[in-house]
Amino acid sequence: MSEHDRDPTPDAETETRNDEPLLEIEGLRTTFGTDSGTLVAVDGIDVTVRAGETVCLVGESGSGKTVAVESITRLVQSPPGRIEGTVRFKGQDLLSADEATIRSIRGHEIAHVFQNPQNALNHCYTVGWQLVEAIRVHEDVPEAAARARAIDLLDRVGIANASSRFDDYPHEFSGGQKQRIMIAMALVGDPDLLVADEPTTALDVTVQAQILDLFEELKTEFDMAVLFVTHDLGVVAEIADRIVVLYAGKVMERGTVLDIFERPGHPYTRALLECLPGRGNEISGIGGSLPEPTAPPDGCRFAPRCPHAIDACHRDGQPLETEIEPGHSVSCVFYREGRDSSVVSPEGPTGVSSDDADEEARSTDD
Amino acid sequence: MGLPRYVAARIVWAAVVSLVIVTITFVLMAAAPNPAIQEAATQAALEGGDPQEAVERERELRGLDEPLHVRYLDFLTGVYTLEWGWSEHRSQPVTEALSEGLYYTAQYSVPWTILTMLIGPLVGVYSAANMYSWKDHLATGFAFFGYAIPNFFFGIILLLLFGVWLDWIPVVYNTDVAVFSLENVRQLAIPVFVLVTGSIGAIMRVSRNESAEFRNADFMKTAKAKGVSPLRAYAYHVMRPTLVPLSTTLVGQLLAIFLGSSLLVEVVFGIPGLGRLTFDALVAQDTNLVLGSTLIFTFIAVIGNLLEDIVFTVLDPRISYDDR
Repeated sequence: MSEHDRDPTPDAETETRNDEPLLEIEGLRTTFGTDSGTLVAVDGIDVTVRAGETVCLVGESGSGKTVAVESITRLVQSPPGRIEGTVRFKGQDLLSADEATIRSIRGHEIAHVFQNPQNALNHCYTVGWQLVEAIRVHEDVPEAAARARAIDLLDRVGIANASSRFDDYPHEFSGGQKQRIMIAMALVGDPDLLVADEPTTALDVTVQAQILDLFEELKTEFDMAVLFVTHDLGVVAEIADRIVVLYAGKVMERGTVLDIFERPGHPYTRALLECLPGRGNEISGIGGSLPEPTAPPDGCRFAPRCPHAIDACHRDGQPLETEIEPGHSVSCVFYREGRDSSVVSPEGPTGVSSDDADEEARSTDD
Repeated sequence: MGLPRYVAARIVWAAVVSLVIVTITFVLMAAAPNPAIQEAATQAALEGGDPQEAVERERELRGLDEPLHVRYLDFLTGVYTLEWGWSEHRSQPVTEALSEGLYYTAQYSVPWTILTMLIGPLVGVYSAANMYSWKDHLATGFAFFGYAIPNFFFGIILLLLFGVWLDWIPVVYNTDVAVFSLENVRQLAIPVFVLVTGSIGAIMRVSRNESAEFRNADFMKTAKAKGVSPLRAYAYHVMRPTLVPLSTTLVGQLLAIFLGSSLLVEVVFGIPGLGRLTFDALVAQDTNLVLGSTLIFTFIAVIGNLLEDIVFTVLDPRISYDDR
């Protein structure tokens, strides 16, 4: 069915690959109506993912990463959730698509792998049953064919004796194996985009490395783009092509791995990187905590915790993103026209700083 | 090893439980005075004979002079070979009287059980899916209503309404009606409705609350992300795990009402089933028949619990059958 939805000619496909992004998120805003007011989990973020690339959404817990990726195929429960903005996948707007369309895309063209493999499988059914279900929801294939394909996939993701373990229940597998099964389940539809939401967080470090390797292999093998959510910068460094740094539902900075790790622009990104082992700040962490999502601060979301914050940081909303080099942009007032960005650099202010920036920098902690 | 061995072990345990119950019954019977002997003594005294001699004779006649262990073995053999004695009040063997009662009881119990098992979980899960909507509130209101109102009272009210005022259903149960006839459906509709209302409430509540837990479970998000439709997700991914805790409530509820309320409902509607048979036997002091119906209810309870245990393990694959 959905094969027809794909690009009509091979030529067009190659063209799409180069020009138009596979996934284009614009102004995505996801809010939840709660008793204590509207909770803004994701507040107008833009993310693009091109075919075949790995984009990492990075941020601490509560920054809205999970809600953002679960808004793409409208997995967020609504109500109470409310998703606004546009999400274009291969040119089609997913947020305005009808239920049947979005269902045919879920698990088929856009697949998900979640954080906690322990509870992600239904404990009452065998893993085989659940894989076959995933296949047959989208394709009208005979039971035996679906079974054969499911066993192949289990084998591919590294489940030993796949055919004999096909009829085992989830509780008979370890956490790492369950995550492998979840990955196999995500692959049944040969997806174009794999959304992986902290897939290694609940696993121990050795298993984590194996799963990351598996992602890398499968990405090439299945020719998928991967949207990877994590708070673990070590993981990011290993797999990402491009990085989007989120904080309190807003994009702080975006760029390639090198941009972010070698030349981080935003004070938040710098603080985050300093928390990495061997970078200096691992004991103290970042002072303060995330703002209340029901009452976000007026200006830059990070301003209340930012050591460099000046008055301008506390008003007029999140600063517009400034492109400081091709593909690398920062949402910080110090990068706006007429300000000295060296103020926020780890080396401290250099060159000629404008008077008012200097003056305001003194009145930070109020 | 595995499921067959576990089931076998459960069956053995059920047999042991029934033996314990039968033994306790025997001890109580042996300790209690036998009315037939008192009666013989009174009779002899009235006729001018020797009451003591009459008592001796009656005891001998009934085998009560035998040692206790011989009487116990006789009793056991009798119970397990279905020789449950003679019902003086009905002038027929106890087993025959019981099977006649069972015939009428089954006519309303079977549809009642099936309806409860079908409607209860379905409405409960539907209620959870539409939590806090007017549909949920309606179902919850009905559940509490059914749970709170006494069956016999509800039965009388409905009988008054539909039988006396509206004249839609017969007031007196007619035993001559064929089992599978419209007439029988008509006269059993209200008793079945009353019993379903009484038993469905708890089942609806339990399935609603259990499935509320599963509808927000991680595996539901997985199902949604796989592209599974909400209907299928509820039917397979919520219903199935809900049935595990529900099976306990289901059997418990059905047994409780079967043993208690069915008597009241049978008396109200004049159905000559097991419940009324027991009631009449109690009033007539027909010891053998009371004993027989007690054993029937006991065995039903033991078998019900056995089924519940087996269903439980089949439904939840995480339960290990080993070492039990």
